[in-house]
Amino acid sequence: MAKYEEVSVRGYDEFCQAVSERKGKDIFAYFSGDKDDQGKSWCPDCVKAEPVVRGEMAHLPEGSVFIYCQVGERAYWKNPNNDFKKTLKLSGVPTLLRYGTPQKLVEEECFKADLVKMMFTED
Amino acid sequence: HNFSFFLSFFLFLGGKYDYDLVVIGGGSGGLACSKEAAQFGQKVAVLDYVDPTVKGKIKIWGLGGTCVNVGCIPKKLIHQAALFGTALKDAKKYGWQISEPVCHDWATMMEGVQNHVRSLNWGHRVQLQDKKVKYLNFKGSLVDEHTVKGLTKAGKETILTAKNIVIVTGGRPKYPTNIPGAVEHGITSDDMFWLKKSPGKTLVVGASYVALECAGFLTGIGLDTTVMVRSIALRGFDQQMAGLVTDYMETYGTKFAWKCVPKRVDKLSSGALQVTWTDTQTGGEHQDTYDSVLWAVGRAPETKALGLDKLGVKLNQETGKIVLATDESTSVPNIYALGDIGEGRPELTPTAIKAGKLLARRLAGQSAELMNYDNVPTTVFTPLEYGCVGLSEEEAEKRHGKDNIEVYHAFYKPLEFTVAERDASQCYIKVVCKRFGDQTILGLHFTGPNAGEVMQGFAMGFQCGATYSHLSQTVGIHPTCAEEVVKVNITKHSGLDATVTGC
Repeated sequence: MAKYEEVSVRGYDEFCQAVSERKGKDIFAYFSGDKDDQGKSWCPDCVKAEPVVRGEMAHLPEGSVFIYCQVGERAYWKNPNNDFKKTLKLSGVPTLLRYGTPQKLVEEECFKADLVKMMFTED
Repeated sequence: HNFSFFLSFFLFLGGKYDYDLVVIGGGSGGLACSKEAAQFGQKVAVLDYVDPTVKGKIKIWGLGGTCVNVGCIPKKLIHQAALFGTALKDAKKYGWQISEPVCHDWATMMEGVQNHVRSLNWGHRVQLQDKKVKYLNFKGSLVDEHTVKGLTKAGKETILTAKNIVIVTGGRPKYPTNIPGAVEHGITSDDMFWLKKSPGKTLVVGASYVALECAGFLTGIGLDTTVMVRSIALRGFDQQMAGLVTDYMETYGTKFAWKCVPKRVDKLSSGALQVTWTDTQTGGEHQDTYDSVLWAVGRAPETKALGLDKLGVKLNQETGKIVLATDESTSVPNIYALGDIGEGRPELTPTAIKAGKLLARRLAGQSAELMNYDNVPTTVFTPLEYGCVGLSEEEAEKRHGKDNIEVYHAFYKPLEFTVAERDASQCYIKVVCKRFGDQTILGLHFTGPNAGEVMQGFAMGFQCGATYSHLSQTVGIHPTCAEEVVKVNITKHSGLDATVTGC
């Protein structure tokens, strides 16, 4: 049995909903460009980072939540006023962050397994 | 003792230590040194640990040392918050229709400041990991010149061996030792930057830049603030400039209790703090109540728990700091130290960082360059900022003789102050030069807005051996305050009015 909860959401509203339903929990969120029908994302860095992030998920703390969030199509993401950029202050995809803390890994940082592991295992 | 000898002997035979370099202290100097060393392929570990403040009132802070957590960074941000307060008042004269009263919310400001500090803690953590520096949240102490003991908060011990060890543990604010109630009821700068609630009416005891900067921003955000000074302000700095800084603060609402010494601090049933003090000039005793008492009476080097005496690491008897050679080595081979803990070193982040990097390069055999501690510029971020590089006028007189120096000076008015109808009496520039020959600049002093930004470029000129003639040959950028530095032409010797008039 997994010791963390994994949630899959698409878009900003679903993301906020998932977060609000899990108040008080340690929430890790991974933001990726949308995947097509073949399961491939328009964002090449996201394609590269995902196996690295998934490879470290065994280190997620007990009782934590992992939200996998597809942010939208490339055109939506490129718009500097989209909700993720404006409200969540995301600067790029992929982004892995710990909700409510300044802890985050952006783009190439997500390629590094040791950084991902560090985020999952340290206070 | 036998064990460590055996261990060292064994290691000598084996020629293998756990690490090439163990750095004790994860502040400005420690982080710079460890990251630089790792870059050269050295195996490095950093031990960072924060003892809670005496009162244990605040939780300990993250990686980054004093500068990031309870020094430069939060200080400058809160100074900025205070400057906005003044700017809001000025703005009305520039046409902005701002409804009164304008209030300041401490909690909102602190949330922003602390979020930034935490992002820096995280950024350092990522950098260490990325550069393959081992980070350990242990309290480090020395067992011998190649062995460090690390202690976790829970008391668990780890032993690390290293070819070289660098001590970069910095300092902590001092509490006065002979004032009843000082420790129980007062706070220091370590606490100030983490307060959840506004400190309210505050008494700041001390006259160092820490005291004045804190008192300055507290006044700026609207709090009733008093500075209690035993003798002089900004000891070690040019005293004419120090006077301008405090005059400005007094004009803008900070109260000063000159030549006064606190005697005791008592907590009243209302929760307020009653401070009793002596006016050393009259001998009279006075009392007043405050919400907070901030001790800014000096900083003590963090050497007590390091085990330095056991190893014979030489300390300066008076200051307690570690005695260092020009290459940052201590009296014990393989043990180095830098930053605030070093005797005679400036207590500044940029010098600690630079010294740390140069030491790392030397230890990795990449360079022989020593840190140059001369010509270090600095800025005091009081409400009227004061930036300087080189000698104070007093020090220049002492070294060269009063008749061998020429002091060019000017009182100027920032253009922005005019419409805002602000008093600029303390905006001043002083260039201390050798009187004869090339008139080499010995010291440059500036009070005014953005003093740090103004001084940085001039510090480079100073480093290059700029003379008065270089200065006067430089064309000013108009309209700025900085241009008044290159235009300075009235000497103190002439006795002429040094007020700048018009363009």
